[in-house]
Amino acid sequence: MSQVSEENGPIVVVEGEVDLAVAPSLREDLAALVAAGHSTVYVDLLGATFLDSTALGVLVTTREQCLGAGGELHLIVSDPRILKVLQITGLANAFPIHDSRSQIPGSTNGDATDTQ
Amino acid sequence: MNDHDDQASADRPEVITLSFPARADLVVLARFTAATLGSRAGFDVEEIEDLRLAVDELVVSFEAVQAGGTVQLRCTQSGGEVLIECTVEPGANGDSRQGIAGGELWGADGELSKQLLDALVDQHGREHRDGGPCVWLRKHRAHSGR
Repeated sequence: MSQVSEENGPIVVVEGEVDLAVAPSLREDLAALVAAGHSTVYVDLLGATFLDSTALGVLVTTREQCLGAGGELHLIVSDPRILKVLQITGLANAFPIHDSRSQIPGSTNGDATDTQ
Repeated sequence: MNDHDDQASADRPEVITLSFPARADLVVLARFTAATLGSRAGFDVEEIEDLRLAVDELVVSFEAVQAGGTVQLRCTQSGGEVLIECTVEPGANGDSRQGIAGGELWGADGELSKQLLDALVDQHGREHRDGGPCVWLRKHRAHSGR
């Protein structure tokens, strides 16, 4: 897991299988960003190959925190398997979804910081 | 082996049992086993992915009260159908706060897990068996040919 600084908000990059083993650290990282005053956060799932309900629950919780702070949680995702999970659970329209980082307004090539 | 033997072999139930400590980082073993069994049952790539996610949901949706012990999976494939049954033997100290479900995560995501299982498999359920809870799923191969 790593973070990238962007003009419109930090991007948390998550790769591989995002499951129960990863969900706690994802929740911790996202909660820390919101607590630090970032009301809009991006989660880059372009490198994610699997997403289960525990990880999805983390995204839902963070979304609520972002909305409460006046911002949004954006997802960057293009993998059909991940999109299918969002569709099945009725969350495909709950998040602003981008299929690449270039779709993010004000996107730059921010520096990545490995958080693990 | 002639055609008759091939058919008899294909129809014979194949059973795989898997036992592992109820730890989050070991749930991948259940996904791997389910994928292997799905492949042997003739599932296509999308069906195997569905089965991987479904068995993950099956294991992590297990009630937190049983976490901290040993996950036991019994996987059966026969005639293009996969049946996976999951039980958890409580840990020696009966500690419900450790292990897979992790309490807080389970409470937040139970409905999401159910929605996924509803969509990904043909049938799933939860029942009492041998004095303890058992969660199970059943998924059929969509296409008829192997």
